[in-house]
Amino acid sequence: MAAVTEDRRRITVRLTVLQVSVVVTFAALAISFWFLQIVQHAQYEEMAENNHQRTLALRAPRGVLFDRHGKVLVENRHSFSVSIVREHTKDLDRTIRLLAAVAGLDLTQVRQIVDRHRGEPTYRPIVVIEDASLAQVAAIVARRLDFELPDVVVEEVPMRQYPTDALAAHLFGYVGEANDAQLGDGVRTGAIVGQSGIERVYNKLLMGQDGARRVVVNSMGREIRTLEEVPPVEGRRVQLTIDYDLQKAAEDGFKHAGFNGSALVLDPRTGEVLSLVSLPAYDPNDFAAGIDRATWAALNSDALRPLQNRTIQGRYSPGSAFKIVIATAALEEGLVDPDFKVYCGGGASFFGRYFLCHLRGGHGVVDMRHAIEKSCNVYFYTLGNMLGVDRIHKWAEKLGLVGLTGIDLPNEQDSIVPSTEWKRQRTGERWYPGETISVSIGQGQVTVTPAAMAVMMATVANGGTRVTPHIIRAVDEGGGWKAATPPVVPERVAFRPETLSALHDGLWMVVNAAGTGGRARIPGRDVAGKTGTAQVISNQGRQAARGGERDLRDHGWFVFFAPKDDPQIAGVIFGEHNGHGYLGAPIAKHVIETYFAKREGRPLPTLAPPPVPPPVPEPDPDSAPIEAPAIARVAPGAAPRTIAPGTY
Amino acid sequence: MFERRLYHHVDWGLLAAVLALCAIGLSQVYSATGGWTPILETQVYGVLLGLLALAVCLGIDYRSLADKSHIIYIAVIALLIYVLFFGAVRGGSRRWIDLGVFNVQPSEFAKAALALVLAKFLGESRRGAVTHVDLLMVGGLTAVPLIIIARQPDLGTAATLIPVALAVAFVAGMPVRLLGVLAVAGLLAAPITWRFALQDYQKERISTFLDPAQDARGAGYQQIQARITVGSGGPWGKGFTEGTQGQLRFLPVAHNDFIFSVLAEEQGFAGVIVTLGLYLFVILRALESARLAKDQLGAYLVLGVLASFTFQVIYNITMSAGLAPVKGLTLPLMSYGGSSMIATLAGFGLILNVRMRRFTN
Repeated sequence: MAAVTEDRRRITVRLTVLQVSVVVTFAALAISFWFLQIVQHAQYEEMAENNHQRTLALRAPRGVLFDRHGKVLVENRHSFSVSIVREHTKDLDRTIRLLAAVAGLDLTQVRQIVDRHRGEPTYRPIVVIEDASLAQVAAIVARRLDFELPDVVVEEVPMRQYPTDALAAHLFGYVGEANDAQLGDGVRTGAIVGQSGIERVYNKLLMGQDGARRVVVNSMGREIRTLEEVPPVEGRRVQLTIDYDLQKAAEDGFKHAGFNGSALVLDPRTGEVLSLVSLPAYDPNDFAAGIDRATWAALNSDALRPLQNRTIQGRYSPGSAFKIVIATAALEEGLVDPDFKVYCGGGASFFGRYFLCHLRGGHGVVDMRHAIEKSCNVYFYTLGNMLGVDRIHKWAEKLGLVGLTGIDLPNEQDSIVPSTEWKRQRTGERWYPGETISVSIGQGQVTVTPAAMAVMMATVANGGTRVTPHIIRAVDEGGGWKAATPPVVPERVAFRPETLSALHDGLWMVVNAAGTGGRARIPGRDVAGKTGTAQVISNQGRQAARGGERDLRDHGWFVFFAPKDDPQIAGVIFGEHNGHGYLGAPIAKHVIETYFAKREGRPLPTLAPPPVPPPVPEPDPDSAPIEAPAIARVAPGAAPRTIAPGTY
Repeated sequence: MFERRLYHHVDWGLLAAVLALCAIGLSQVYSATGGWTPILETQVYGVLLGLLALAVCLGIDYRSLADKSHIIYIAVIALLIYVLFFGAVRGGSRRWIDLGVFNVQPSEFAKAALALVLAKFLGESRRGAVTHVDLLMVGGLTAVPLIIIARQPDLGTAATLIPVALAVAFVAGMPVRLLGVLAVAGLLAAPITWRFALQDYQKERISTFLDPAQDARGAGYQQIQARITVGSGGPWGKGFTEGTQGQLRFLPVAHNDFIFSVLAEEQGFAGVIVTLGLYLFVILRALESARLAKDQLGAYLVLGVLASFTFQVIYNITMSAGLAPVKGLTLPLMSYGGSSMIATLAGFGLILNVRMRRFTN
């Protein structure tokens, strides 16, 4: 029996040992859970939330742009973007490989995109495809449903849609992801902001406010339900001063004429820009979907510089079109009256140098009106010499040819008309009166933008009010259209009536009489205009550079307004390397015809479909560029130097 | 056979606690699987069949059962061998016998069979502490099913057989010294096991446990998610069927291995304490039955059954909190699994049986 008792005792003791162990273990478990659930609760709760809650950005559509008659110019379309969210990705490389295969993408490119964003938080989507095709979306969604691509997200985002054919590309500009300098003030990382043109200048109005949606997702990344949604606020609707039909007419005109260049057409009474062209252009739609490197590199390395907005960034010598400034200055300064006559024998000597007129035989005796009509160099050499460079500079400034026009577009370049002060500051040298002679026919150091030339023409047209070109007409702040405040007029000079009539008559004669602008003539519309040639290289240089790669043909200007007695439209057509200023006149004509047809409700004019190759210019007295042969006429003792007179 | 007076000696408290745990389990399976699904249905059948098995095991005198223990043991071994060759394959291992309507997992029944045979072997007609020969015999009886189950492979279930042998041997008087020797031997064997016996995925699980961050998207994922699930539950939980971790499947097999995590998430620390309390009550109450047992056979039988149960409960709950390597070990009475439920309830039938018959001859 002792053994039995012994057994009993042992069993009891050992059972107690087990009992105690179990109790201790359970106590330890309870303490562990207390730590996890009470002490560290907040931390794990946050982790659980990060697990299943995801905040999706809802991109705000940018404001729609309308033309002055309410036609939609730039809007937004629906697009799909495909992103990878790495939060629950087990094998990122597998996802990348599968996505590339399914969407037909280049594997290394996808890897590069992902690598670029590797440092970002894993919950932030990495956009792999912007503006995915419907086929891509369908393929990806099908795989997602099979749980093969749980970490790939397809989102619908609004995307900027610009007109086809790169219409008014430089005017609209383009959008792109905000760079570091643009962050802040409501712009967050990854936001789409305007990078150029109106998109950039009025970005604040157009951008709107991105919304956000907080959703619950399961472990497969599928959205289960929405917790909270802050809808995006669309950008402000903006009405531009642009007239779609005039914009198109100007661009069609260039295409028809077969050269690049720039145009700015405005209402001379207000400075409202009706059309702004710069060619060649880029397609802003390429940027809307995130421009690829190849396209960007091609745009940047293109010798024709399609990214440059020639209208406000290209600077060229104005040539004969500058004679309008000389005429205005001489008349307004009271140095001469319109009847002032000069004899042109084909050239004249100033300061020991012989300066040629472009007409070998000379224009004979010309007054102001005929000097403008015929673009007589000798007449304007004479006036320029009388004025001196500083008074030329002063009137050029009053007409808008000095400095910036103040147009509401980014990165405008200064226009330059020299003065003694300007030269002293620039080179430290004094001004030589002989230099004034070249300035008076728009050569030498005169370099101006097409926009400045348009302002000059508008100022001449409206009788002395230097308007500021502007593009915004009205903004819808949410309560209907509100007219935008027009920019202040920086300069207002009332020209004398005789100044105005002489200028207007002369410019009218350029188009409607024996001048060089005959191709802009529209019966009954009294178009006034002036041609000009911007030399790319001097005549001597041209000889030297013959056979080179560079396009050495001259640029041609045509500035205009209409109708002569009540100007409603003014502007500039600048033809790049088109050789002759009069080649821009048909473009102006087409724009003016379109303007009046539209105003009077008639069908808009069309350009003859087959663009005829530019015909050999008719025997126009001014047309033939004249080399400098007249050594015999050089005054004895004077250096036989001539100034290039290839301007008319 | 089932005498009227025995009815009064049924441990109703223990039975009630067991049923309460089953009910909690059913409700959590309901929550984790999203409503009335075939999975829940199977589980309900499991509980009902289990109660039937419990009644059967209660009805037959455990001493008669122990007399047949060698037959039961051999039958289970035969089934295990059959499974090894002809069993249904799921998830890379061969554990089930496909009966058409449902699958049976013989390894679950191996625990009770082992408990029976060991109790019979050590508890019958023996006096004094166990001898070394006895212990060798115990080791052999345990090793046979253990090795077969490990070959399926199902290391988790195989491991639950070890506590059965240890607990019975310990109470039967195994020298404490020997326990120490076994522990040292186990430690020494670990590197060898690591090298030769473990599959790659098993090695990964263990190394991941030691440092979950090394593979936060792979094997460590479950462990981290388990901790997040439990921790985010807080003191009062997110509410029934409101748990995000389980409902949105950040935690895999929420109705099975990780059912306790889901409970902790939805019912909070309060629910955890209640459930832990129930399990502790069940275990202590069963240990009490062992103490009260009329004979050593009864005591050993209770211990053998209880040992695998307790081991599984403790391991699974520790794992549920992300504090142990992830192992395919279910939580008895709560996790989804028909065979496990039936075998566990049958085991409790044996425990109740021993207590109920403590006064009979």
